[in-house]
Amino acid sequence: MSKEETKVKGPNGTSRRDFLRKAGSYTAASLSGTAMLLSDPKPAKATANVSWAEHFQKNYRLMTDEEKKEAVTRLEHRYSEEFGKKVEVDDAPAMDGVLFGYALNIQKCIGCRRCVKACVAENNQSRGENQQIEWIRVLRMEKGKFSAEDRDRQGYPEDYGVQVGGNAYKPAGVVLEGQHYYEPDLVPEKDAFYLPMQCMQCEKPPCVKVCPVRTTYRDPDGIVVIDYNWCIGCRMCIGACPYWARRFNWGEPDLPAQEMNPDTHYLGNRPRMKGVVEKCTFCVQRTRKGRWTACVEVCPVGARKMGNLLDPESDVRKVLASKKVFRLRADLNTYPKFFYFME
Amino acid sequence: MTIYHLFGPVISLCLLAAASVASAAGDTVRKDEKTCFESRKGLSQVRKHEIEPGVMNVKCSPITGGVLFWGDPFDGTIPMGDMPVEADYSHEEAVVKPREPQIDRNKLLTICAMACHNGEYVPYPENKLARPLRMHKDIVPDSMQLKHGKGAIWCLDCHHAVTRTKLIDHYGNEVSFNQSQKLCGKCHGQVYRSWRNGIHGKRIGMWRKGGKKRWWTCTECHNPHDVEQGGRNSGFAQLNPEPAPMLPKGMSNADHERGHGEEHGR
Ligand code: SF4
Ligand code: SF4
Repeated sequence: MSKEETKVKGPNGTSRRDFLRKAGSYTAASLSGTAMLLSDPKPAKATANVSWAEHFQKNYRLMTDEEKKEAVTRLEHRYSEEFGKKVEVDDAPAMDGVLFGYALNIQKCIGCRRCVKACVAENNQSRGENQQIEWIRVLRMEKGKFSAEDRDRQGYPEDYGVQVGGNAYKPAGVVLEGQHYYEPDLVPEKDAFYLPMQCMQCEKPPCVKVCPVRTTYRDPDGIVVIDYNWCIGCRMCIGACPYWARRFNWGEPDLPAQEMNPDTHYLGNRPRMKGVVEKCTFCVQRTRKGRWTACVEVCPVGARKMGNLLDPESDVRKVLASKKVFRLRADLNTYPKFFYFME
Repeated sequence: MTIYHLFGPVISLCLLAAASVASAAGDTVRKDEKTCFESRKGLSQVRKHEIEPGVMNVKCSPITGGVLFWGDPFDGTIPMGDMPVEADYSHEEAVVKPREPQIDRNKLLTICAMACHNGEYVPYPENKLARPLRMHKDIVPDSMQLKHGKGAIWCLDCHHAVTRTKLIDHYGNEVSFNQSQKLCGKCHGQVYRSWRNGIHGKRIGMWRKGGKKRWWTCTECHNPHDVEQGGRNSGFAQLNPEPAPMLPKGMSNADHERGHGEEHGR
């Protein structure tokens, strides 16, 4: 890779937006960046070609099968070189007759956050001091205070002099909105329960509606995916998601080579770059091969179930048939395929 | 393991001195740890090893020692074996991790069964009434905590009276420690049904119909002796959680989410 190009690309490749902007400034006569790269004095190196082709590839969804194969092979070479091991980038399409759904037993979850860390290990998120990205968040929900002493005896907030609705300022059974950063020695705690959240793979995803470049879309198996190469980092989707599921790579992702999981999917856990959005994909690299997601497998209490919503014999359908279930923010008509259940 | 706890003075009885299990429970994880645990700390240990060049059987959390990733979900498993009721596993491959090596890992169970509790040396108990524990308080770590069925369950309701390496079903038939579900299911029918349907308990492997699955059995998650976990009434022993997420840039602590909002109204 030439010196100039390193400058343009950054160590791990950089976002499309970044590239175009910088490339533009290099070619004052507003010749395209392509021309500049093509006239690179040392274009022979494999990596130079790869980055050129990668930066100017189509939106993944519009690619022909051959173009997809090319894109994937390019990436396999680049990643294998970067991480010093054989990296596979899968391009498996959605399986016929499959619609993925998920069910989480909220009664069982002990809040151990093992799913969170297993997801990070599986999906090559950024880790380390500078930028830590986690796709699952586990909220600690307090059960509330119901002791007589805790109640506001007056019933009138003194400072205000008017009653604005009962014991509004110190009601019985105050419940916190949910704590992200809880850190007790041991879980589960006596006075709390836990509510894990991740991408709900909505059937009508608000994030897809707002994406100006249509780089995030719903695949036929119901998984909402992102073509990281076309993400311009505008973060509209982050604002639109009612479930706080999307994360942004503010900096260069930090993924140590020896911890990198080489079994990847183009639309899933392949290494991401600075300036793009990412989120849970129901481990597309695993589930499209028939394997359960990392979080389903790792949960020590077996609170997580997933499977094919179109198959009445699947785990998730059996949960829907026999347990009490609910979805988060069903009022928004997002139709999440992530269900919570109780015995 | 086999101890009975009544209110007030503890009158306990030890029939079986096995499974000195609790040792690992409170230990902190060392960096060089060669074993990690799956669900129950101390009683579902796995030893890390390479299954093929560069691929480990498990990846573990450096903080809690819990398994985070199975390189091969079927490593060290055996066929689940016959089940009395038809369910999914009759048409797809179902495997379990044998419990016997975990439970009898120090061979105490086998030795006790042969040397003493063979129906002769220690006489066969005349009845199932609870008696004061005379021996083995030291080697049966759960001995003061037998709490199962609020006192209605007693050692020989589950354990074989003379063949100490076996459990029993309602008819007194031997049940292997590898198939505890056959024993637990005799009372916990509804849970048993959900478990057979795959929606209670844990499974790993292939979600696809017909795909191979490893099933977790009852005692891989629950402690049958202290199943209520004291006053917590939880079914699961407490574990160390993995660390909290990183605070957003510029935020020095998470106090904002710890208050109850009363401050705002004042
Ligand atoms: S399904 Fe996979 S990607 Fe999604 S949260 Fe679970 S582990 Fe992470
Ligand atoms: S691993 Fe399971 S029990 Fe632990 S926080 Fe996640 S869902 Fe809850």
